[in-house]
Amino acid sequence: MSDPLSKAATATEIACAVATGKVKAAAVIDAALARIKAAEPTVNAFTDIVAERARKRAAEIDAGQHIGPLSGVPFAVKNLFDIEGLPTRAGSKINVDGPTAKRDGALVRKLEAAGAILVGGLNMGEYAYDFTGENIHYGPSRNPHDPTCMTGGSSGGSGAAVAAGEVPLALGSDTNGSIRVPSSLCGLFGLKPTYGRLSRAGSFPFVDAFDHLGPLARSTEDLALSFDAMQGWDPDDPACTDRIAEPTLAGLTDGIKGLRIAIAGDYFAKGGEPEAFAAVAAVAKALGATTTVVLPQAAAARAAAYVITAIEGAQLHMARLKARPQDFDPDTRERFMAGALLPGSWYVKAQRFRRHFRANVLKVFEEVDIILAPATPRSAPKLGQAMMTIDGVELPVRANLGIYTQPISFIGLPVVAVPTRKAGAMPPGAAGAMPIGVQVIAKSYNEAAALRVSAYLEKEGVCVSAPA
Amino acid sequence: MAETKPDMAKWVEEASLAIGLPIAPEYRANVILNMERSLAIVQPLLAVELDDELTPAPVFQP
Repeated sequence: MSDPLSKAATATEIACAVATGKVKAAAVIDAALARIKAAEPTVNAFTDIVAERARKRAAEIDAGQHIGPLSGVPFAVKNLFDIEGLPTRAGSKINVDGPTAKRDGALVRKLEAAGAILVGGLNMGEYAYDFTGENIHYGPSRNPHDPTCMTGGSSGGSGAAVAAGEVPLALGSDTNGSIRVPSSLCGLFGLKPTYGRLSRAGSFPFVDAFDHLGPLARSTEDLALSFDAMQGWDPDDPACTDRIAEPTLAGLTDGIKGLRIAIAGDYFAKGGEPEAFAAVAAVAKALGATTTVVLPQAAAARAAAYVITAIEGAQLHMARLKARPQDFDPDTRERFMAGALLPGSWYVKAQRFRRHFRANVLKVFEEVDIILAPATPRSAPKLGQAMMTIDGVELPVRANLGIYTQPISFIGLPVVAVPTRKAGAMPPGAAGAMPIGVQVIAKSYNEAAALRVSAYLEKEGVCVSAPA
Repeated sequence: MAETKPDMAKWVEEASLAIGLPIAPEYRANVILNMERSLAIVQPLLAVELDDELTPAPVFQP
């Protein structure tokens, strides 16, 4: 059990300490704000800090209001979530000139209703079109395990804030991998729920067909605790499911008995560095998984996700691309512009293929409950690094950090990204010093199974997350 | 990939004109580069043959 005022404290530990009166929510918030002040010059995770609001909320909790399962837990959100009174940056300069949010995003409201306390908005790649965590307007978020390295993106600030121990819990968004990539590179547990499971109301969109929101944390229990608090139908998000909430926390310690676990082969067993496959092998060994399954046409799924992203993203930003091209991050501007010029027939074919791929993958899930795959093809590249060598081939970093995540979010399956390798176990810069993640993929709406596997791996000491 | 590679510079110039999206000369080279990357990445999708009855899911249910 960590000191609830320390950077190692999990959300669960803090909530327990506040609920039992061991510590005041006000003291928790003061400690978090002090840690943020100390870490920010190094990690650059935050773009907005709402200290006054957080202290007011903490005082209310200490006075007996807003009591819930997350009472007193400080959290922060990627700055594409609406925060009342602030512009919703979405990593851009342009949006700062727009209106301020009239109220908090739906998931912020849900977490606060459960007693959590928002402390700020987090850095991200511009308009979420990013796998690096770099941003020309606000500077890059830096990996707390080695600040010369990328956090991964686009939820880079979310990865940095949790890995640095500034907060135990952050929310991110994941369109093609933007929760799973920073979780992998920063050594965190990250949950990309089933498409439509959590409301996206009050968040700035990127690609409606694939946009998901979810938590990043340093323990599986924290993912489950926050996920359960955020579930539920929301008429303000047309994609949000009307299924009843399916709580995951109670079954978290049920173990892996009865779960059929397989390893993704073919596409997911090539195109990465040996460390990515070693991570999958270590997790598979701990789970006793020996069967390999193939998700047919995964390369086409990645291509289709790429095309839908490029075209939908470009269409969303067309007016801004015409009026204020000079105010975009150059790393997103020309990709958006190119997306605007792609043929419509590619888009429609990609959408038709999506149904085809979904049907074929769901057939695979008739035989298995969990599929393991790498989260990223390598651990964190250096900041500013444009090209990387994967399997002897020189490839652009931006387009390729998400090659293993894209085919999965394409059909909306739930995934827990689990961290392998104890960050800090080796000296910075040494081979193997940086963490790398594995995707634990489940069938639609079976987040509970992926979380159970994650909890088991954590209990066995195979997947551990500690703040830098 | 198509046997005859398209002239990407011309594609960018004509398509941007058609949709009314001005692309400043200093952005053009990167837009062309990204078009070339897109053309390469999309190939596995273009190679797939789909049955006529396979329509897009109007409301996507994962």
